[in-house]
Amino acid sequence: MDVTSKTSEVPEEPAAAAVTEKVWKAGRLEPMPIRKLPDAPPSMHILGPTVFLVALGVGIGESYMWPRLVLVFGPDIRWLFMIGVTLQAFILLEMARYAMATGESIFFGAARIFKPLMWFFYAAAILIYMWPGHLSAGAGAFEEITGIPWQVSACVALVLVGVLFSMLSVIYNFLEKLLGLLIGLLVVGTSVIAAIVGSWDDVAKTLGGMFAVGYFPHDAMNSTWFPVVVGACAFAGPSGMQQMWYTLQLRDSGAGMGAHIPKIRGLRTAGEAESMPSRGFMFDTEDPAEMAKWKGWRKWVTFDAILLFWGITMLVTISFTVLAMAAARENPNVAELIQGGDREAALKAMSDAFAAAGSPILGTLFFAFIALIGLNATLGLFDSFSRGQADMTYYFVPGAKRFSMSRLYAGFLWGVILFGILILLFGPADGPAGILDTLAFLSTFAMGAYCIVLLLTNNMLLPKKIRPGPVRNVIIGFGAVFYLGMLFYCLFRFGVAVG
Amino acid sequence: MTQTADVKQLAEFSVPALSVGAAAGLIAGGLAAFVGQPAGWAVVTGLGLGVPLMLFGAGYAVLLALGKVPAGVFAPAAVYWVIGFPLSLFVHAIVTEWAVTGTPGVPPDPWKFLAFRALISMGFAIGFLWMHEQLGRHWWPRILDRNQYARRVVEQYVHLAAALEARKAATGRGRVRNKRTA
Repeated sequence: MDVTSKTSEVPEEPAAAAVTEKVWKAGRLEPMPIRKLPDAPPSMHILGPTVFLVALGVGIGESYMWPRLVLVFGPDIRWLFMIGVTLQAFILLEMARYAMATGESIFFGAARIFKPLMWFFYAAAILIYMWPGHLSAGAGAFEEITGIPWQVSACVALVLVGVLFSMLSVIYNFLEKLLGLLIGLLVVGTSVIAAIVGSWDDVAKTLGGMFAVGYFPHDAMNSTWFPVVVGACAFAGPSGMQQMWYTLQLRDSGAGMGAHIPKIRGLRTAGEAESMPSRGFMFDTEDPAEMAKWKGWRKWVTFDAILLFWGITMLVTISFTVLAMAAARENPNVAELIQGGDREAALKAMSDAFAAAGSPILGTLFFAFIALIGLNATLGLFDSFSRGQADMTYYFVPGAKRFSMSRLYAGFLWGVILFGILILLFGPADGPAGILDTLAFLSTFAMGAYCIVLLLTNNMLLPKKIRPGPVRNVIIGFGAVFYLGMLFYCLFRFGVAVG
Repeated sequence: MTQTADVKQLAEFSVPALSVGAAAGLIAGGLAAFVGQPAGWAVVTGLGLGVPLMLFGAGYAVLLALGKVPAGVFAPAAVYWVIGFPLSLFVHAIVTEWAVTGTPGVPPDPWKFLAFRALISMGFAIGFLWMHEQLGRHWWPRILDRNQYARRVVEQYVHLAAALEARKAATGRGRVRNKRTA
């Protein structure tokens, strides 16, 4: 019995609904028919679609970039991380507002406002995420443990992911369970390691630094470090387009009006997929009973945002910062390597420091968790990228509707896998050196851009009663200024994109 | 029901919670062996951490079985582990000292030691609760027929389970309708 998958009852609709239905006009595209909002599940369950965001978000920023900044500039720099993650928690809630109210992705929302906006995200996603560089950290850690060259394990992992996702009947259910278990293991494991190697002073400094608002060291104001700080802020929690993909996970999990949209299936059973409606749905916001259900859904997603997303992201990054501080204390060479910016050498030195200080177990465990973070991110990234591109292609590329959404998903998945294998074998994994700056720029620019899109969709496309309040609008507006402001300041003042 | 049968049922119900503690111990001990530590050292490290976490995990499961804490809710688990997690690591530190020096000894600044671990315990509580629920949802339905505690906890999830069935049925209906409205 599956008791934690978030599901909800889809209310029975009158047979003649398609003929006499009421609609909600939103933007320039087809109006949304009014349907019943399903009942919200109680927020007692622990798992939800946020597990994807956690899997994607707890990555290189938490395990490497922020510990590095703490060693260079001291723990007080962490207030910027606090702002970054808290901002992302609000963005999560606003993304969820649109997705749960309409059953549409935020990409669809962007197209309702102005189609070129959606095409920008379509092109940016391909440019940013087709390079397999993100596999290198996890596979590199795996190489440290097993001795298997990272390119080999990365290629095998790519094929396995493709076969696995193609064989599944309903992809979302499987991934939710798998990522849930892996993240549970990660959280339990990092807590145990941090408890073994860390000290009260480390964690007190780390926590205190989160509230040192306004601290900005003079040494960070140069072309070497400022781009790194901007990059780390963009990598606090989910970066790039990961929050936008979250709206697709919400839809596929059946959250809110997403319950009216069929799920994406694996290639093996793609023929059994239900036909996609050509747009989302809206519920009757004038009906008090429907509004009560809406409040239940908001409560449910808020629980996810605070405990799962904010809590776990904070915990993992605090744990890794404590680990980095402990390693630097054991071996000053570690601090130099971490500050130098060679990620692989720094992670290896940290592992060695733990091995020397405690026991070889800790060194190996450290690598095991870096590998686990890499695995989580890879699984989540391939699925989310394919889901996002399939969604936009299906709805907005002429003629694409002759393929089912599930087949388009499989097409993008195998496309990015085959390209990834070719690049791993013959090319630069992170992308050609000449466009690296552009990719880093695009990734951060997309984050500022989706804040603006969120403001537009949630204030222009949703009925008045479920629009965000002024405080939330100000926070999301601040997000746009935060990401775009830092990005352009970096570009014009120092002539470089994020580092 | 006899007391023995009751205890047996509680033990059976606690299997998922015991597994989370055992996993922590196995990771520690297994990796020690993997990296070439003497077998005895690996076993001591694994048991030193695994056994206290298993016992505290089982304690939480018993509270859940007896209805003293609600299923899947974070706050009671956080309060429980703020005590259980530091104490488990305290035992681990004593055992490790014993294995290394030959005599058991408490870590320096024991209160600071405990306070730091209490802070980290919040994270462990999330991970424990998460894994406990993941494993429990596969285990408890299997023993439902013969275990009153599993039955009681599964009943707490009945709302969600019923919603799942309704959703499945509704999807079947929706398939035809979606084709029409697409």
